[in-house]
Amino acid sequence: MIKIDKVIKNYQNGETEVKALRGVSLEIQKGEFTSIAGPSGSGKTTLLNLIGCIDKLDLGEISIKGEKVSSMNKKEKTSFRRQNLGFIFQTYNLIPVLSAYENVAFVLSLLDVSEKDVHTRTMNVLKEVGLEGMEDRKPAKLSGGQQQRVAIARALVKDPEIVLADEPTANLDSTTGEDILKLMKSMNEKLGTTFIFSTHDPMVMDYAGRIVLLHDGLIKSDKNRR
Amino acid sequence: MKFLISLAFKNLTRYRRRTLITAGAIAIGIMMFIMVDSMLRGAEYESVRNLKWYETASARIYNSEYWEKRYQMPLDINIPDYKEKVQKLEKNGYKVTPRISFSGELILNVIDFGEDGSMSIKVTAIDPQKDSDVFHFNDTLVEGRFLKPGEDGILIGSWLAEDIGAKIGAWVTIVTRGNGGFYQSMDLEIVGILNCPNPIVNRNLLMMPISTASDYLEMEGAATEINIKLTDNANVKAETAVIKSLIGNNNLSVYSWEDLAFDFLAVLEADRGGSNMILILIFIIAAVGISNTMLMAIFERTRELGMMRTLGMSDSAIRLTFMFEAMGIGIIGSIMGVILGICINFYVVNVGFDFGFMLRDIDIGYRIQSVMRGAWNFDTAVIAFFAGIIITTIVALLPTRRALRMDIPSCLRS
Repeated sequence: MIKIDKVIKNYQNGETEVKALRGVSLEIQKGEFTSIAGPSGSGKTTLLNLIGCIDKLDLGEISIKGEKVSSMNKKEKTSFRRQNLGFIFQTYNLIPVLSAYENVAFVLSLLDVSEKDVHTRTMNVLKEVGLEGMEDRKPAKLSGGQQQRVAIARALVKDPEIVLADEPTANLDSTTGEDILKLMKSMNEKLGTTFIFSTHDPMVMDYAGRIVLLHDGLIKSDKNRR
Repeated sequence: MKFLISLAFKNLTRYRRRTLITAGAIAIGIMMFIMVDSMLRGAEYESVRNLKWYETASARIYNSEYWEKRYQMPLDINIPDYKEKVQKLEKNGYKVTPRISFSGELILNVIDFGEDGSMSIKVTAIDPQKDSDVFHFNDTLVEGRFLKPGEDGILIGSWLAEDIGAKIGAWVTIVTRGNGGFYQSMDLEIVGILNCPNPIVNRNLLMMPISTASDYLEMEGAATEINIKLTDNANVKAETAVIKSLIGNNNLSVYSWEDLAFDFLAVLEADRGGSNMILILIFIIAAVGISNTMLMAIFERTRELGMMRTLGMSDSAIRLTFMFEAMGIGIIGSIMGVILGICINFYVVNVGFDFGFMLRDIDIGYRIQSVMRGAWNFDTAVIAFFAGIIITTIVALLPTRRALRMDIPSCLRS
């Protein structure tokens, strides 16, 4: 489903060139629950950004569902993300002036979905993530865990085949973090959605079906735990 | 689209104080626009009125050769037998009054003025019975009385009276040259002081009866000009043509007030240009304020912007959201500005601002002596309202464009 072929990505940090990814090749199949693990600066976020089509690679190729996303232009990438990818962020990134319902429905408003469908799908997904009855609450009135549930609902509401999560539990306490992982895992099993998440937390890695360990921009190990 | 509008308006409530301060800046800009425009229109309207009431009348008949030499005020280039022309015009329903204008030297004596002295002056000899048919000097008398026909009396403008220390009952001597070039002197008693709203007139005004001047200057039934009053909505060009045909004398020409006040109209045009610059500056200041607010709003939400772009929101949709947000500020500011502008305009139109301290000594071209009043103009309020909204919306484009140039990972990291 996702094919990453000899991807190289360098950053310019002042006068220093940072080699974020140094020829990474990887294949991820549909329905996998994959963790991109590694210490800080190993290239986890860079790899997720490249798979998520929000960054440009220097060399190599990335294909998702048979489409060469690495050679798409800006507009095509935007459209591809809108149609196919769900995102969960470490800091939730909810819009503070919108209610939980509106934050989720926002994603559907970008797609050609009827108002009736928007309502049904949003309410269903909020129920799935355990936020029934909290639709009208603004993010400030929700706990960190509840906010991340809204973010998961937002990622899943359009039924994407792939969800990318960058350190989704890093801002949560361990119990809430575990709840979030269980939720993601259950969604992965129930809906068959492919989840790829970055982490450096061993507890989070325990939930992964596959752990791709990065170190200094290279894959150090790739373990399938199923 | 509905979602974008809803999001934009919700964002307005996010930083209420900032929204209100920015809307306030726009409101002040719009209020100033309405007020300045009102004052300029008021000043223009009042100047034109004061020009016609105290300086030029609506139209004037001169000897055709007089125009070229009008600054020398020659008495020999005149309108002979003016009474006949006046009667003819009056028969045809026109309100007219003859005048003799001449220059001379005003001699001041030590008894009445504290010291001996002299100054160059311009004297206007009027028909005390007919002058008020065309001009409005009767209403401006502040001391003494108006002129009587045939008397050796003179009226003086209040500013000139202040400058020379003139009092009612004081005597002045005017030395001039009569029709034909002989020297003549006249001893005249100051019978009244006029406070003319037209500052140019009030600064130099000296008026005496036409019959007295005619005798002293040996005008032999001639006047230097015949002034005509037309109704406010008259077509001046058409009327001057009719008057020309009525007087039927090829040696006489009819000039409209616009011909007579061409220097004033040129100043007015220049003033308009300067005033428009002020109005543009007001809007630029407001626009910079909005741009700054939008810049802050956008950069504070860079991560949110990154999230929206990550989730597939197009640049044009993001741009639209911020434009709707700016439009919201523009609408609030414009409504506030128009309401404030109307409120302040009530004061400007009915009470006005007293610039007498400045206009007493400085000639700014406007024929206003002290109080500058505004004039209502519905179009200005409408233009200001929509300009406020449109400018605000367009100004938001620049900071949005800047934010959209950042790459998404940088936005998310911020």
